Amino acid sequence: MNSHLAFALRGVSTAVGNKFALHDVSFELPTGYVMGLMGANGAGKTTIIRCLLGMRQVDSGEIELLGHRVPGPVALRQDIGVVLDHAFLVGDWRLTEVERTLRPFYDRWDGACYRELLDEFGLDLRAKVKDLSRGMSMKLMIAAALSHRARLLVFDEPTSGLDPVTRDELVGIVGDFLIDEGHSVLFSTHIASDLDRIGDYLTLIHDGRIVRTGTKDEVLEAYRVVRGGPDDLNEFVGVQLIGVRRTSAGAQALVRTEEAGLLGGDVVVEAPTLEEIAIHIGARVPRREPDSFMSTGRIA
Amino acid sequence: MTAIARMALLDLRTVWPYRYYWFAMFGLGILLFGGKPVWLVPGLVLIFTSQFAPYPFNVADKAGLETLYAVLPVPHRSVLYGRYAWAVAVFLATVAAGTTLAVLLARAESVQFSGRTLLTMLTLSWALFAVNTAIQFPLFIRFGYTRASVLGTTLPFAVIVGTLYKTHLTIASMQSWIALVGVAGVVAIVASAAVATTADRRARAFRRPTPNGPDRF
Amino acid sequence: MRVVLSNSAGMPLYQQVKEQVGTAILSGELAEGTVLPSVRALARDLRISVITTTRAYAELAAEGFIATVPGKGAYVLPLDSALVREQLLREVEAGLQSALDAARRAGLRRDDLIQILDGLIQADQQERTYQ
Repeated sequence: MNSHLAFALRGVSTAVGNKFALHDVSFELPTGYVMGLMGANGAGKTTIIRCLLGMRQVDSGEIELLGHRVPGPVALRQDIGVVLDHAFLVGDWRLTEVERTLRPFYDRWDGACYRELLDEFGLDLRAKVKDLSRGMSMKLMIAAALSHRARLLVFDEPTSGLDPVTRDELVGIVGDFLIDEGHSVLFSTHIASDLDRIGDYLTLIHDGRIVRTGTKDEVLEAYRVVRGGPDDLNEFVGVQLIGVRRTSAGAQALVRTEEAGLLGGDVVVEAPTLEEIAIHIGARVPRREPDSFMSTGRIA
Repeated sequence: MTAIARMALLDLRTVWPYRYYWFAMFGLGILLFGGKPVWLVPGLVLIFTSQFAPYPFNVADKAGLETLYAVLPVPHRSVLYGRYAWAVAVFLATVAAGTTLAVLLARAESVQFSGRTLLTMLTLSWALFAVNTAIQFPLFIRFGYTRASVLGTTLPFAVIVGTLYKTHLTIASMQSWIALVGVAGVVAIVASAAVATTADRRARAFRRPTPNGPDRF
Repeated sequence: MRVVLSNSAGMPLYQQVKEQVGTAILSGELAEGTVLPSVRALARDLRISVITTTRAYAELAAEGFIATVPGKGAYVLPLDSALVREQLLREVEAGLQSALDAARRAGLRRDDLIQILDGLIQADQQERTYQ
């Protein structure tokens, strides 16, 4: 099934009780690239992934996955590999047992590939799943996903709790995976440095809403970071100060690039790093009443 | 292999690391019923189906296999029916092993089971399995193993054992009407599977957020 | 092919790639017809995004340094003298512009600037004599 989009969400909303978990979420990823889904914990990243994979129903909107409308045919899962921060396998299975268990389900299972990958990742075939560290566990799930020749890899916070070496190895693995232009990756994280270099597309999410989506360059270009003294950055007409941080040493906020020109002269305006964008957009705001979700005020 | 068979096989692999448990239960069965070989098969079936057939629910709940089931390319229906198929497989294996053992034990006492007796034994075993599974499985599916485990494993067991005890039934006395019970068992299983499908849908709709918060798998 | 990226260069990554490859081509280090790594292989090796390398290659192709063949990759085109000249002229202009900006900040006048330029040309010529 050939489609130029790995996946697309259009106007997706889903609620838990009377509170929106996701509100009017729309973004898409062309085939062959890696999209970073960034947001604070609880922003809705996992909910999006669950909806995308058909594990959770949406109340409105539509989702397209590898050219199929979700929920698509069950066979679609042959092409998708899911990697979470924990192995969703029986802890007492040995890695050989894992292979024997998964093999019957996949048409394109490559046992030699599985063993080679385990070897490359330094995983012992005789080890039990429960004995694996966080990083090893993630690599196991990657090995499994690659062994059944997945076209789309979906990572949900794979690097939280991982040491820098393993995180770097993951970057290499993703790069290798993308050598094939029919392969795509969705990578959700709250750690900006994961996506700094290898992210092609970025989607920022906050409180269940999409703040910004586009290529990484577009997203970086959309904002400026503003720094000033502790008493600066109080209010500027026509400028929304995003995630103002004020200390006795100074104040810092994010603004949209198109509004940056309206700032006064006393402040320093610069291109932000991805980290700064994430920090300011994700800054905790006072809890709003449910009806304010209906307001049209954009977050950022 | 159909998806249902694959899931039943997955259930076997799920409990495979704990297979030593089978021996313990077998031993328990022999201990309890070895003295009366004619009750051995029904007894073993009761033990295995109330304690062991639901074991995949237990392991799956603790290991979060629900995510695995959602990721694997199998229709969700197959997860459900595969679990029933697994239970039937446990039943058949227990019956095969149990009957062999019962026949041997009986022979040791110079007793030979008549065809009628054997049939009654097997049909009773089937009925016990059916009643047990028909009650248990929808409970586990709807409420999850952790919440329903106590009720699910002990209730059917207690009901059945209590009934048999109170009514002082013997294998011989059942022979005339046991066929009816056997058919009722089949009906019970089918009905249970249907109920389970609905229970499953509800369970998934009302799944509470995990302790780590709604944003977790 | 040698591309070394710097985090602190202040220059976007795609531009660093483009300039380093461009320089290598102009200097003859990457000969005509050399097959370059695919955008994806390069992205993997440099640990940067595919879009970045794609953009670098696209700009190099637009400027006539390389040609990309869909599905096959990219290769170095013969150095067109007009192309080289144009590229070099651009570099001269850019260099002179930044010299001008610095001169303005230093408060230099046109004559001071020309004096510096003459001095540099002389030193450069002397260096060439000794090579």
